[in-house]
Amino acid sequence: MRTLRKVPALLGALLLAIGTALAAQEGIALKADALKAEPFRDAKTVGSLATGDRVEILKKQGGWFQVKSARGSGWVRMLSVRRGEARKGDGDATGLLGLASGRAGTGRVVATTGIRGLSEEQLKEAKYNESEVQKAESYTTTRAEARQFAASGKLVSRKVDYLPTPESAK
Amino acid sequence: MGRTSTSALLPSLLLICFAGGAHAFDLGQELKKAMEQGTQQQAEPGRPSSSAGGGIDLGGVRGLFGFSEEEEIAIGRQAAGNLLGAAPLVKDATLQKYVNNVGRWVANQSERPDLRWHFGVIDSNDINAFAAPGGYIFVTKGLYRLLRTESELAGVLAHEIGHVVERHHLKILQQSQWLDLSGKLLSGAAGENQVIKNLIGNGAEIFARSLDKNAEYEADRMAMVLAARAGYDAFGLPAVLQDIGHAAADDSSVRLLFKTHPHPDDRLAHLGDVVGDRFDGLKGQTLEKRLYRIKP
Repeated sequence: MRTLRKVPALLGALLLAIGTALAAQEGIALKADALKAEPFRDAKTVGSLATGDRVEILKKQGGWFQVKSARGSGWVRMLSVRRGEARKGDGDATGLLGLASGRAGTGRVVATTGIRGLSEEQLKEAKYNESEVQKAESYTTTRAEARQFAASGKLVSRKVDYLPTPESAK
Repeated sequence: MGRTSTSALLPSLLLICFAGGAHAFDLGQELKKAMEQGTQQQAEPGRPSSSAGGGIDLGGVRGLFGFSEEEEIAIGRQAAGNLLGAAPLVKDATLQKYVNNVGRWVANQSERPDLRWHFGVIDSNDINAFAAPGGYIFVTKGLYRLLRTESELAGVLAHEIGHVVERHHLKILQQSQWLDLSGKLLSGAAGENQVIKNLIGNGAEIFARSLDKNAEYEADRMAMVLAARAGYDAFGLPAVLQDIGHAAADDSSVRLLFKTHPHPDDRLAHLGDVVGDRFDGLKGQTLEKRLYRIKP
């Protein structure tokens, strides 16, 4: 019984591992940034990426990606790179040009009707469901229960200040 | 901050009306009281919202606009019920309890730890997440399935918690509906329930409306910090944005998300501009193994 139950979990983990590796293969630099020898701010700078540079993402660690590019290999801040090809729906060239200006695709999304899922139309037509609200409320976790849950995962709360706005960060 | 006086005053009329909707009230008296409160509120330091951008000073919401927490929850409950009418909860009690545990632990780190927070996974293959006023937060099954770690779930929920903490949805309600509503209230034609229904509009339409994009960026910034405060790896939300970033905008599963939010690439770039080295040395847990996996 036990082994049987483990099979799907193992399969799931395997699929997940494959999925992550595939999804993590390609990336594009969203902005210019340094390549570091290790995933730390103070690590030696071994190169740099320019906006739009294609990279191969090898690994993720905290806020860093280990990448390989035509300009060399190293660790780059995760927020400077995005996974995947140029934005789909844009032509390849415009996608890259758009990326350079940071505006590719924005404002070009057109809503249409008759789509599966939570479309605007479906949301508008939705009828209030009291019993589902009550069900949702029945799962509520109290402040104290949450503390226990955190402790069981060895999550320790700590003081972290809110981030500045872009204007005040400059 | 100098722009608050005119822009904030008009919507405040609505909320004063709303607050007084169930009782008889004296408009002049209420207005005076609210303005006095508003002046005090705006002097309150240290709120992240004070620099949120957008048309109305959010720091004034509680005081000047005068929504009580009870009223906020009533609005959120109605909106949540409408959303659940479109997509019910996934029938998996373990899953629902799990997201409440993660969500509540993150919400404990916010400025509203005592709200009765509710989290849920709804049965839709769309990729999206929703927050309603008062602490009602829902993630679609489609989005949940993309998650690889508990820290990614924490990051997604933390973004929605940010909207609730900053009362972003109350703000758009005020902008879009105040005139219509104040008219109805003044005529004495509507009870409180009707007022809430009018305020929210048809069905769950409120969730199809866009917030100010600065409100989205603000929720992203808060999400990384709240997740980090909770002991998680701060990069859970960015990792999810990385994943949905390469879905095409015309893919139906992300259409509504892309319509109502800035593109994930722009959100990542925005975070990149402000994060810099701020989370360096702050290691957090990803808890990949503890993430509850939805049955296929």
